[in-house]
Amino acid sequence: MSPDILDETTEIWFGPQHVSAHGWAAKLTLVGDFVVECDPNAGYFHRSAEKCLEFRNFRQGALIMERLCMLEAFLAEYPYVQAVEKIAGLEVPERAKVMRTIMMEASRIHSLQFWWGQFSAELGLFAMLLWPWVDREFFLDAFEELSGSRHAVSYSTPGGVKYDFNDKVLEKLDIAIARFEDRMPVMRDMLMGSPTFRARTEGIGQYTLKQGLKFGLSGPPIKACGLPMDLRKDAPDPNLAYDMIDWEVPVTESEEHPGESDAYDRMVQRFREMETSVEIIRKLLPLVPEGPIVDPKARGKSNRLPEGEAYGRVEGTRGISTLWLKTTEKAQTPYRAKIRGPCFNSYYSLKHLVPGAKFADFIVVFGSLDPYPGWWDR
Amino acid sequence: MMGGVVLQIDFFAWLQGIPSWLYGVIQWIFGIVSGIFYWIWGIFTWIWAAVFDVANFFFLIRAILFPGLVFILMTIIFAVWFTRKLWGRIQDRRGPFHLGKYGGLQLFADAIKLVAKETIIPDKARRWMYRFLPSMLLLVVLIPFAFIPWDPIWFIADLSVSLVLVFAFLTAVPVVALLSGWISGSKYTLIGGFRAANNQFASEIPLIISTIGPAMLAGSLSVMAITQAQSNIWFIFLLPINVATFLVAAIASVGTFPFDAPVADSEVIFGWRTEFSGIYFTLTYFAEFAEQALYSALIVALFLGGFQGPAFLPGSVIFIIKFLIVFFFFVVVTSSFHRLRQDQIVYFCWKYLLPLSILNVVLVMLGIANIPALQAILGIGG
Repeated sequence: MSPDILDETTEIWFGPQHVSAHGWAAKLTLVGDFVVECDPNAGYFHRSAEKCLEFRNFRQGALIMERLCMLEAFLAEYPYVQAVEKIAGLEVPERAKVMRTIMMEASRIHSLQFWWGQFSAELGLFAMLLWPWVDREFFLDAFEELSGSRHAVSYSTPGGVKYDFNDKVLEKLDIAIARFEDRMPVMRDMLMGSPTFRARTEGIGQYTLKQGLKFGLSGPPIKACGLPMDLRKDAPDPNLAYDMIDWEVPVTESEEHPGESDAYDRMVQRFREMETSVEIIRKLLPLVPEGPIVDPKARGKSNRLPEGEAYGRVEGTRGISTLWLKTTEKAQTPYRAKIRGPCFNSYYSLKHLVPGAKFADFIVVFGSLDPYPGWWDR
Repeated sequence: MMGGVVLQIDFFAWLQGIPSWLYGVIQWIFGIVSGIFYWIWGIFTWIWAAVFDVANFFFLIRAILFPGLVFILMTIIFAVWFTRKLWGRIQDRRGPFHLGKYGGLQLFADAIKLVAKETIIPDKARRWMYRFLPSMLLLVVLIPFAFIPWDPIWFIADLSVSLVLVFAFLTAVPVVALLSGWISGSKYTLIGGFRAANNQFASEIPLIISTIGPAMLAGSLSVMAITQAQSNIWFIFLLPINVATFLVAAIASVGTFPFDAPVADSEVIFGWRTEFSGIYFTLTYFAEFAEQALYSALIVALFLGGFQGPAFLPGSVIFIIKFLIVFFFFVVVTSSFHRLRQDQIVYFCWKYLLPLSILNVVLVMLGIANIPALQAILGIGG
């Protein structure tokens, strides 16, 4: 390229009406085919969830939370439930703990299947968009059987869960997992064995572990660098059942560039996440004890909470999602709730990851971090 | 009267000139009237000749019905339906099935919907070019169908250089794409237009070099002659690698998956077609499928023996069966790979396809020169 071409920059808005930008927009500055500046913009998806939480009582709040990210509804609602349980000092029955954990892991698989299809579509292979989405339907069937709703499940409630397992739910869950396990190797070959997929993802959006931690990333983007940072293992929640069984935190250590992760590593990492989730569900299903699904006193106790503040957090599909809750004496609603989703950091880390990449690779970097607009706009 | 400047005119000379001037005016008017008359008369004679002169009448039938315009349009409509249905099957869904048997009428419904849609021309677009280019694109893609030998007798045209002419027309396609990206007045369409040019830049050379092999084996540049030269052996058995390079380069030249960087929807919305709506979008969309169909037909004619086959079937039926098989491969390839980046397309085409196709040309040259049996099979006199 001649110098005068290099001097000329073009500004281009990627979104909010772009087909692959749903609820976000980034301003890209291009020189030729290269992105030299990326300016991610938030605010297109804002629904003032934090303010809404101040007007809902402590059993309704979870419903707002799950609407932040419908894809991981079981996981998204949990930080709020956890914070309320901490302030109210509620005991969760054993049965509810295990059921919560099983459903959260099922939600993780379903969310990752959605992401994986979307990522494939962004890379131009529509067969791999629809294959996982068909499998995902079986998980949604199980959710529907459990709660009556495919996405807005509102499952966890302070002191337990709302709906009990029955034979049909377990059967549908089993069908979904069996189908997933059955089709997994084929799809793994279709993606990781595909030279075109490797060509598009290897070395794209690469960062070191140190950089990743500096960006504030968590979840699969960090685990793909080789650091087993996982809340499920690092800070086991007494109200969840992760410590009841043996399982390993999935980690991806690349051979070519140890301590760094690119889009391909993050893909591999998410496949391992799904396999781990299946393993956890398989191990937990026989361990579901008999008993009540919700603490009988929970309803009375969660009506009015004592003064206090608590910090709820969960290892979500996209990283650690947290919520800070402050209550006043005998309040029916929170005084203040502050949500910190995992995706704000991954979205704004584009500012550092994208410059220098080709314009065509921008969406690959974006897709490999799996940001969901609901988490950063709240 | 001689010498000096005479300002006065010679009145009598002028008077004498009037009759000839009048005569000239009458002649001029007569010329116009007779010209119009002969023009209309010419139209009548042309229609007369076309309809009642047997040779011309059959040419008209060939050009309009089979294997001309109507047949080609039905082929394209079928191709779109076939692609959608097959993609649906590959992607674990059913594809169109509501209208007609197996969704066969879906395309007509889509076409009616698209034609009925409002045409939105952006403010910054060049209006006349915006209207002109999509139709130009479809025209450029449809004309080369005239040189496809669908049948040993019932074909439209056969020129001694028809192979070259086909590629001459097809080279104009990315130019139209680039232009329509340019005049649409949007940054995304401009990027898409340049990507289309880039695709052609990468794929055209291996594409054309892949056709040199069959042309040399047949000793002719006419598609018809190349087809006829395969009466003893199909060129796919002599040039298997060439078929592969031609197929891949053709897919890259069309710009569909996995070489669909020009219209990559997750990157550049819809590339150079972003701003087209309604009938203009329909034309560009049809042009893409027409190009795929054209390349499939070319593969059949150049490598699969065209209309040659079992004697109990008519030549055109054999050609159409082969065409469907080749088109099936097109669809399968376009639905099994992730999209390549533009620089990877160039890298792929130039690093792998180009040397392979050139190697084939060299092999063909050596074969023709040194293997007498080959000449006997091909029936060429050297």
